[in-house]
Amino acid sequence: MIARPAPDLDTLDRLWLTEAVRLREEHAGPLDDDEANRQARAQGGDLPVLIEQRALWLARRDGLVEALLHWRQGARLGGFALALLAVFTGAGLAFAALGDGQRPVNVFWALGSLLGLNLLTLLGWLLGLLFAGDSGGALGRLWLWLSEKLARDARAAQLAPALLSVLHQHRLGRWLLGVGVHGLWLLAMGSALLTLLALLATRRYGFVWETTILGESAFVGLTQALGALPALLGFSVPDAGQIRASGALGGDLEGARQLWAGWLVGVLLIYGLLPRLLLAGFSLWRWRRGRAALKLDLSLPAYRLLRERLQPPSERLGISDAAPAQLHAPSAGAQLEGSAGAVLVAIELDGSRPWPPALSKGIADAGILDDREGRRRLLDQLTRFPPARLAIACDPRRSPDRGTLALIGELSRCAAATRVWLLQAPPGEALDSARLDDWHQALDSLGLPHSTTTPLGWLESGHD
Amino acid sequence: MTEALKLAVVGHTNVGKTSLLRTLTRDAGFGEVSHRPSTTRHVEGARLSVDGEALLELYDTPGLEDAIALLDYLERVERPGERLDGPARTARFLDGSEARQRFEQEAKVLRQLLASDAGLYVIDAREPVLAKYKDELAVLAGCGKPLLPVLNFVAQPGHREEEWRQALARLGLHALVRFDSVAPPVDGERRLYESLALLLEQARPKLQRLIEDHEAQAAARLVSGQRLIAELLVDVAACRRSVAAQPELERGAIRELHDAVRGREQRCVESLLRLYAFRKEQAAASDLPLLDGRWGDDLFNPETLKQLGVKIGSGMAAGAAAGAGVDLMVGGITLGAAALLGALAGGGAQTARHYGNRLLGKLKGQRELSVDDAVLRLLALRQRQLLAVLATRGHAATEAIRLATPQDQGWREGKLPDALQRCRAHPEWSSLNPGARLQDGERQAALDELQAELRQS
Repeated sequence: MIARPAPDLDTLDRLWLTEAVRLREEHAGPLDDDEANRQARAQGGDLPVLIEQRALWLARRDGLVEALLHWRQGARLGGFALALLAVFTGAGLAFAALGDGQRPVNVFWALGSLLGLNLLTLLGWLLGLLFAGDSGGALGRLWLWLSEKLARDARAAQLAPALLSVLHQHRLGRWLLGVGVHGLWLLAMGSALLTLLALLATRRYGFVWETTILGESAFVGLTQALGALPALLGFSVPDAGQIRASGALGGDLEGARQLWAGWLVGVLLIYGLLPRLLLAGFSLWRWRRGRAALKLDLSLPAYRLLRERLQPPSERLGISDAAPAQLHAPSAGAQLEGSAGAVLVAIELDGSRPWPPALSKGIADAGILDDREGRRRLLDQLTRFPPARLAIACDPRRSPDRGTLALIGELSRCAAATRVWLLQAPPGEALDSARLDDWHQALDSLGLPHSTTTPLGWLESGHD
Repeated sequence: MTEALKLAVVGHTNVGKTSLLRTLTRDAGFGEVSHRPSTTRHVEGARLSVDGEALLELYDTPGLEDAIALLDYLERVERPGERLDGPARTARFLDGSEARQRFEQEAKVLRQLLASDAGLYVIDAREPVLAKYKDELAVLAGCGKPLLPVLNFVAQPGHREEEWRQALARLGLHALVRFDSVAPPVDGERRLYESLALLLEQARPKLQRLIEDHEAQAAARLVSGQRLIAELLVDVAACRRSVAAQPELERGAIRELHDAVRGREQRCVESLLRLYAFRKEQAAASDLPLLDGRWGDDLFNPETLKQLGVKIGSGMAAGAAAGAGVDLMVGGITLGAAALLGALAGGGAQTARHYGNRLLGKLKGQRELSVDDAVLRLLALRQRQLLAVLATRGHAATEAIRLATPQDQGWREGKLPDALQRCRAHPEWSSLNPGARLQDGERQAALDELQAELRQS
């Protein structure tokens, strides 16, 4: 039994399954699809709809839909796991940055541990976006490799390549990956921010900075430069004196405590959270837009062949007027009474050969028969004065149709003896042996003697 | 949805009515075709549709063979003092008993023509204009339907097109179409349907739609065909075999590579045939000369390559030199290798090893076999010829496809397209190699590039 279509297949899923079925057919040969085609045709629609219906029917039959649902479930679980990991990572980053409050926090160490990894991976992503030609990227290939290893049966083996192939169409892979990567980092940064706020709210931290070789002014400048953007949003920035004080050994930590905390939160928000938020939003927008524009690539050879089957440009209608059991057969005969003389007649010769040949006096030339009047005239005359010997010359390049055979039969019934002379081909031309054979068969069934040699001797003397 | 336009295909026996239907419907298996007269004795229909909408129905009819006698008979069915017009006379004939006896076949034709919107009167243009054909036209005219004469076999020597034109003009049939059902002209279908639209003005939109769809489909088929060829070329160019440097093993590997490439080419041929709706069996053993004649020549046979004008000399020289160089580097201990390499190059499959790979493989006792450039060029030439032939071949054709020596120089001597050069470095792009990655994005890009190249040249 075929299960009803799963209701929650969206456009992407349907295209994905269609592509998976195409790849399967490409690799393992065509599937038995008579019923699928019939079902698709019965539902109607234009070609992409028909192809999709057919593929979905086959996918349901072969368990691809379940495989896809399994896969999606797995992906969802994996997503949850990753999200959880991201949350913990973020919290861990914040804890690692601030420590347990026993010792004053080194602000630049804290900043580095909060933003360092994030910014490095961001840089990597941007470089990949700019320079990597392959949209799937290393992660995509890793995923492909993994899914190949994990694919439990051959039917689902084409699912992963099919998704990549569909996504390749509009270079969607990078944006889907972008949504995932930036989303996860966004989560991690959000979690780090909340943890940071919670820690700052519930613990007392002192902030210091240290250096061995750099000068004081470098730190003052760096702090104020980093704080400039957050300051626009109202986050506090310690002034030069407070910064210097935090750097002094055993300096006053109390005065700038809140200002440093505000600065740290502001910098995390602007340089950690905000870029990821923007990029995640951008990736999501591109992904949505690209997904809406996805459609079947009908120029693929496989779909061209499918078109012939799903929307046949020509189909046979069958026989509407059956052949008779037997065709009307002309017959020959002979008129034995009162016949005298010899007549030579030709049927339907074209002007390419000289006619008649040189005849002796005893042979009458009846000319070339072509039209109705000529036929009627000759038949009238032969009926009145039946000849003893009649030779009928035919051009075997014409086809022996029933009309000609009927005429030969009718002529033969006016003479005591009739022979058919199958003329040789004119010089420079050859007779079609198949057609000559047709003549032989037709004349044999009429029961008339025939030959390709001239019957003039017989006409004159009555024997060969 | 409106009714489809109905056309009866009529004419004398043996003039190619069924062949015309085969070509117009692109259905090589329609009806039966033979040299015998009265091959078709029944009426059989075929429907042409666009996007699932039926636009045209064509009916194949038996040949008219006894028109002279039938015309006589038709004149006699008129009773004294009566003046019947053509259709009335035809109707009376069809009601009579002779329509079931002597003129049973002719009656089928007339009944079908009466039930149709128009008739295509097929003429074998090699035949002289005989009186019986004029009588046929007179009988058919009695049905009162428009007739469009179609001159068949005009692509063959000895046709009498001019005689026929004059004769038909005398009978008042000035519109006619040349359409050789075996070798239809490129715009043959368009002309046929356009001439028909002149006779049947109300059917013009349908015919126009049919013309446009058929032309769009032809263009799309060509693109698909180029795609198939591009896939073949990528598969073969990226194909690679690794083999231990022992003469017997190498010979075995070369043979295996040859077989793989030949098999792949055969698959491409079959795909192209399927794409153009020519059946494999219809064109296989004897008809499509892939197994005999020039197609049957061994793909890797230098004679074939020479015949096609592909220069393999450079490949041979390079192969031999490289092999000798490698032999020298390993101290001349494998004296047979250079000779073998020469043989490989001569056989068309050259050990195409990049320099580093070559040395490394040699040290490990491995060699890598891939397919020579010349073979790739040959494959491209052959398949493109086949594609060109298929694109203009009528579905009535029963003769084998014969390919002339290719003329274009680009593929013979020029350098291979960049896309193909790239394939050399990607064994995973070839379906002939184990562990192939056919959905690789770069492979798809190479295919697109190659397809564009095939379209241009």
